[in-house]
Order: sequence, then C-alpha cells, then structure tokens
Amino acid sequence: MEPILKIENLDKVYPDGTVALSNINFNVYPGEFVVVIGPSGAGKSTLLRCMNRLVEPTNGNVIFKDKKINKANSKQVKQIRREIGMVFQNFNLIDRLTVLNNVLHGRLGYTNTIKGSLGIFSKKDITEAEEILARVGLSKQKYKRADELSGGQMQRVGISRALSQRPRLILADEPIASLDPASSKNIMDHIYNICTEDKITAIVNLHQVEVAIKYATRIIGIQNGEVIFDGQPSQLTDKVIDEIYHDRRPPLVHAQ
Amino acid sequence: MHNKGKRVMELEEIRDIRQRKRVQTILITLLVVGLTIWSALGTDFSVYEVFSGLGLISNFVFIDLLPPDVSTSGSLLGAILETLYMGFVGMVVGAMIALVLSFLAAGTTTPHPIIQVVVRAFTSIIRNIPGLIWALILVASYGIGVTVGTLSLILGSVGFLTRVFADTLEEIDTGKIEALNATGSSYLQVLAQGVFPQFIPGFVAWSLYNLELNIRASTIIGMVGGGGIGFAIQKGIKLFQYKEVSMAIILVLVLILSTEFLTSKIRERII
Ligand SMILES: Nc1ncnc2c1ncn2[C@@H]1O[C@H](COP(=O)(O)OP(=O)(O)O)[C@@H](O)[C@H]1O
Ligand SMILES: [Mg+2]
Repeated sequence: MEPILKIENLDKVYPDGTVALSNINFNVYPGEFVVVIGPSGAGKSTLLRCMNRLVEPTNGNVIFKDKKINKANSKQVKQIRREIGMVFQNFNLIDRLTVLNNVLHGRLGYTNTIKGSLGIFSKKDITEAEEILARVGLSKQKYKRADELSGGQMQRVGISRALSQRPRLILADEPIASLDPASSKNIMDHIYNICTEDKITAIVNLHQVEVAIKYATRIIGIQNGEVIFDGQPSQLTDKVIDEIYHDRRPPLVHAQ
Repeated sequence: MHNKGKRVMELEEIRDIRQRKRVQTILITLLVVGLTIWSALGTDFSVYEVFSGLGLISNFVFIDLLPPDVSTSGSLLGAILETLYMGFVGMVVGAMIALVLSFLAAGTTTPHPIIQVVVRAFTSIIRNIPGLIWALILVASYGIGVTVGTLSLILGSVGFLTRVFADTLEEIDTGKIEALNATGSSYLQVLAQGVFPQFIPGFVAWSLYNLELNIRASTIIGMVGGGGIGFAIQKGIKLFQYKEVSMAIILVLVLILSTEFLTSKIRERII
C-alpha cells in the first residue's frame, strides 16, 4: 500500500537557534492510528505542525498523497490543508460564534471567499455539520455560543470542525491535555471510533503512555527532536519508555 | 525549587527598583520645587495677584455669566446639534477608516511587515498632531464651518482608533487564527470569521469612547473655527454676550453627560 504521508530527512531549526527536529524519517499508511509520545519539549508539536506547514520545515520533505507540502505555493498549501483536519489542546474555537458556525469553519476551504467570509454556507454543508454534531452528541448545543460549553464539549466541537473538512488525515496535538480524566476518555474514544469508522488516518500527540498504548496501532517515541522508537505498542517495553522519558515517567493523568 | 529561587530574585529586584524609585522621587521633587521658585522669581509671580484674580473670576462668573439666558437656547440648539453631528460623523467615518488601517498595522493581521511599518508611521504622525492644529490648518483651506470641524475630528479619530484597534488585534488569540488557517481558509476568511468576532467587543468599546472624546474635542475645535456650539461660545465671548455663553456651556455639559450615559449603557448591552 502507498503511504498517505511521507516524512523525509525533516529538520526544523527555529530562528532563535533551537533545534526542534533533526533528521526525521517515517511513512504513515492509510488507516493507521499513530500516537507520538515524548517528553515536553521533545518536538512533538513542531513535528505535527510541519505536516500541514503551520511551521515551515528547515530541511527535508513532507509529502502528503504525493504532493510536497514544503514545496507548494500558498494556494496549493490551502488545498492540501483542506484534506488534513487538526485538533488542538486548547480547542481554538471562536468563542463568540455558535457551535454550528465553528463546525462550518471546516468548510471554509471549500467555500467561495466572499460567502465564507460572510458565514454563508451551502445547505448541504449545514446538514452535514448537523449530522457530525449529532454523531458527537452535541445536537442540542448547536445554537449555543462556543464559550458556553464545557471543556469536553468544546473539544468535541474541535473534532467536528476537523471532520467537516472530510479529511483524509487528522492531526491531533495533545487533544486531552486540558481535560479531566472522564472527558479525556470520551474524547479519545470519539477520535478513535470516528477515524476507524470513516477510515481516516490519524496522528495524535499524547503525553500519557498508558493512553497511547490503549489506542495506538503504532507508536513513535521522540526525544530531543529525534525518533528513538517506532513500532507496535506491544514492542514498547518499560526500558524503551524509560529511555524516551529519560527515566522520568510521565504522570498518569496530566496535571490540571 | 527553581521557581522559588526565581521568586526570591524577583522580590529583591523589586526592592531594588523601589529604592531607586524613592531616590528618584526625592530628586524630582527637589527639582520641581527649585524650578518653581526660580520661574516665580523670573516672572514676578505673586500669590497676591492669584487671589485678586480669583476675585475677578468670581465677579465674572456671578455677575456676567449668571444667570444663563434661557431664551437663547432655541438658537443654540442648532449649534449643539452640529457639535453632536460632527462628533458622531467623526467617530463613524474615523472608525471605518481605522478599521481598515488597523488590520494593516497589527502584527497578527498585516499582509506584509513593510505595510505594517508604513501604516504605523503614517497614523503615528496623524495621531501626534492635535485636533486643534488640524482645525487651524484646515480653516485656512476650507474656511470656518462644520466641514473643518468634522474633518479634524475624523483625522483625530483615525489616529487614535487605528492605534487602539491595532493593539486590540495584536492581543487576540493566535491559536484560533492558526486553527482556521489549518482548515485551508483564505486570508479574508480568516480575518472575517476568526479575527473579527474576537475583535468586536474592543471595536465597539473603543469607538464609543472615541465618540465621547470627539464630543468634548468638537467644542474646542469649534472655537477655532470648526463650527457648532464651540463657535457659538467663541462668538458670544467676542460680543460680550456672556449670558448666552453660559447657556451654551450648560448645553455642552448636558450633551457630554448624556453621551457618557448613553455610551456606557450601550457598552454594557453589547459586551
Ligand atoms: N516558535 C518557537 N520558537 C523557538 N523555539 C520553539 C518554538 N516553538 C517551539 N520551540 C522549541 O522547540 C522545541 C520543541 O518544542 P515542541 O515542538 O513544542 O515540543 P513538544 O510539543 O514535544 O512539547 C522546544 O525546545 C521548544 O522550546
Ligand atoms: Mg506540544
């Protein structure tokens, strides 16, 4: 099977000289649920953000469905981004807009600039957004303002926004790091089930090894900007975990 | 551990700064007192004159100004409406222009850093020329009247609002902007759907505050030829019709207080 995403010799050096990633290489295949683990500052966010070019790679290639994102012009980047949904730790919803409107933001890339700017979406897009909200159990909340929701509900809106893009790939950067344990489980279940049912490939950054082992079909461990583990969850021994975390086991539940 | 050490360091730093500040305060006080005595001697300033002046002022207020001539309020009403009109149009047009300029001037929304620098420099020049000076310059080309007053207020509003709007735009959450960029949205869509909703409360609050500033300023600007109630006051002074002047001043106060009251009500409703 052809990989959906290829990372080749990827380096990222920030303008202040911080080397965040050095020589990253791996392929992601359709249907994989990849979890990236590593201590804080290892470069997980930078890696994910290079994939949709929110961060400009310094060297190397990021190839999504045979298109080099790092070589694409700004119009091509927008077209590639439409097929890649992103979910954030801080949800990043637009507070003063309704839940439904936030979900429809996933359609902006497919909508005419003027219509999109004015918040005018097609009937089909609206129906689909409502179906997605029903799927994550937020039908009743669709006309509420986004800032009236609880953290777990906000993240379900974040997921819905990504889903309305009808993405081939979902990138989730610590999607449960700001949530309580019950909401965390709920959110991880939603992401996992939806990606499995809809055959969406997922790359998820996580802080908690236990959660990673529970959901991942493949785990990538990074430390100091380098991949030091890439394999099945069953291959992730305590020794490897200690190595990734430098003998500092991460907390079971992320501190609130 | 690390944090605690840092805190102790910060405390010491603050104490240092305080001590330095105290010395500075004493020095500045001495300097101000010295300069005051020196300039008082130089200008033959005398406390006696100040108090005799107070006598004259009270004579002026109680004999010449009071009671206000209520019968003139009808003719003054047109002038006060002009002042209100200038302040309002100055705010609306100023806010529209500042809205566009501020998106160019804010680091988070500018299409290009060079545009940002140019717009910032341009509005900084406009801002640092007081409305009064604009009025004086404009009177030379447009003659006395509401046009001059309105134009001066527009310029003042553009200078002020571009600055505060741009600052508001720079404080918005860039994570939310990234989230929209990540969906493949265009620049305009990100501005309209991501930036603007976050910007509305600041936009409304600052525009209303600008309206208050404009109404105050339009009285002063009117006095140098910008029309409206300010011009009426100035004319009254020149013609020694002080009872009409005092009526005009009362109307100005009523206008300012009612604008403040109204804008604060609107602010509460919207934010
Ligand atoms: N915008 C930036 N400028 C400079 N350094 C950065 C920036 N973003 C992240 N870094 C640095 O890059 C490294 C990797 O950060 P990040 O990718 O956020 O790691 P993680 O997500 O694993 O915590 C860290 O040392 C971090 O301080
Ligand atoms: Mg991170």
